Amino acid sequence: MTVISRNHVVTAGAGLRPMIFAHGFGCDQNMWRLVAPAFEADHLTVLFDHVGAGKSDLTAYDAGKYSTLKGYADDLVEIGRALGVTGGVFVGHSVSAMIGVLASIKAPDMFESLVLVGPSPRYIDAEGYHGGFTATQVEELLASLADNHMGWSAAMAPAIMGNADRPELGEELTNSFCRTDPAIARQFARTTFTSDNRADLHQVTVRTLILQCSDDIIAPEAVGAYVRDNIAGSEMKILDATGHCPNLSAPAEVIAAIRDFI
Amino acid sequence: MPGPAAEDLEDLYENAPCGYLSLGPDGRIVKSNKTLSRWLGVAAEELRGQRLRDLLSIAGQIFYETHFAPLLRMQGFFDEVALDLITADGAPLHVLANAAERRDADGGLLFTRVTVFRATERRRYERELVDATETAQAESRMSKGQLLAEHEAAELREQFIAVLGHDLRNPLAAIDGGTNLLMREPQSEKSQRVIGLIRGSVLRMSGLIDNVMDFARGRLGGGIQLSRSSRPLALTLEQVVGELRTSYPEREIELNLDATAEVEADHARLAQLFSNLLANAITHGAVDRPVRVDATMGATGLELSVANAGPPIPPAAIEQLFQPFYRSNPQSRVQGLGLGLYIAAQIAEAHGGRIDVTSDATETRFTFHLPQVEKRA
Repeated sequence: MTVISRNHVVTAGAGLRPMIFAHGFGCDQNMWRLVAPAFEADHLTVLFDHVGAGKSDLTAYDAGKYSTLKGYADDLVEIGRALGVTGGVFVGHSVSAMIGVLASIKAPDMFESLVLVGPSPRYIDAEGYHGGFTATQVEELLASLADNHMGWSAAMAPAIMGNADRPELGEELTNSFCRTDPAIARQFARTTFTSDNRADLHQVTVRTLILQCSDDIIAPEAVGAYVRDNIAGSEMKILDATGHCPNLSAPAEVIAAIRDFI
Repeated sequence: MPGPAAEDLEDLYENAPCGYLSLGPDGRIVKSNKTLSRWLGVAAEELRGQRLRDLLSIAGQIFYETHFAPLLRMQGFFDEVALDLITADGAPLHVLANAAERRDADGGLLFTRVTVFRATERRRYERELVDATETAQAESRMSKGQLLAEHEAAELREQFIAVLGHDLRNPLAAIDGGTNLLMREPQSEKSQRVIGLIRGSVLRMSGLIDNVMDFARGRLGGGIQLSRSSRPLALTLEQVVGELRTSYPEREIELNLDATAEVEADHARLAQLFSNLLANAITHGAVDRPVRVDATMGATGLELSVANAGPPIPPAAIEQLFQPFYRSNPQSRVQGLGLGLYIAAQIAEAHGGRIDVTSDATETRFTFHLPQVEKRA
């Protein structure tokens, strides 16, 4: 099994400069479907699925390795090395923003720019830190994922149906989008929502852009500001887009912000 | 003015048997119906301006933001999504929701329309199904493990028996050879009696080992192999009776031989079968009453029966008699391994015959039926 097939790595574009897009908790690389093509003219775009998501090789899932974000960051570094990426651009959504931070610390020459969309170094409130959730709320979330099988299977039902109104999405997309093995999804949720990478932010040495949504319950604005204040020289841009997935709800705004930065 | 048959569309919206709500392009509620307000205990005016996620628990909000919102954006709709809305008094309202985006000609989002159906019973049913599946999976894993362990234990036991039986034969042959040597020399009367007892014990032990070896071979896939020949039945039976009389000189054995013809069988096996039945009768029968052996040749073949007096076998135990290692009283020290009747039945079966049992207060009788295709004169 190669890294390429393990993570279902898909490359496109006419450019030389690599640009790696990483999806967050919940879905897969299709999350970037409305954004990545805009950079194909002058970049080599790289999309992939985290192990356990999308079309990744589920047999490669190792509960121990993926119990911390470091396991995912190691995969990202392996993908970058397999493709010979140096001086590239990393674009990470949600939990993958921190995965990119860890990868850039491990392999400082791989990325010259980080674009963090809705990042959060810690979701649970701590002394002097506002993460947005209490420990109890996160435990409630994890508990509800543990016995809320219906939610996961219910998420599957619409994904399996075709979409006559938007045929461009295609069979391939409607069949795989958001499809996740429930046991893996529960573990990914635990890894994500109990992570604490605040201490890692100081070690980032590359230029960094934070794209902060308005009204994002998962990564509130105060959290984005914390990331900005703790990564030296980083800048934060507040998007008009609301919610946690501007890459889907406001792709044009996201594309413009990334272009301005790189 | 609509007639009585015409539908009141305003009322259909407000009091439909499902909840309706519409979200503006910013995701905030712009309109909802009375049914939803009734279910939630929140007036429509209060709902206006809220986001759908404001009606959900924290867990539901994260789930919605990471799964259903992307799905809606990607596909333009979602169907049959399970959500828990929070009512005014804080209780969860289990619903299934469908949602569809309404866009203008240029693709701009106008509304997102959401329909919710109460699904409390269905949710409980689904939860029970999931629990039942998990329980069944856990039980299946456990019973598979148990089966495997039992199978391994059985195989180990049978291999042990095979090795043991084989290793016991050699010293027994040495004892037998030793007593033969002593018999050729003059012995005192006491020595002769002791040698006779030793030879009887060797015979019994040899029979036990034969049974053990046959059992192990049968279980390990070898089965009982027959080597048939024609021979007078009397020779075979009298030899066995003689051996048993040596081993149990105090017991009386009556032999009534009506069958004098030759019988087509594996006579070594036939002797083993008969010896097992006879030893069983001697062991379990009343000590002060004779064991009766009757052999008759009928139209269907040979019938060889061994009968003893004594307490009857309970009907429930009769079915167990021919199981390997079956012993009527496991605490008893006088009994053997519980293989004798099992091996006898196996030999009968290998010959195409069977062993029947009758047991009452008068006698317990084991009858071996051996079909004979062709009776030889």
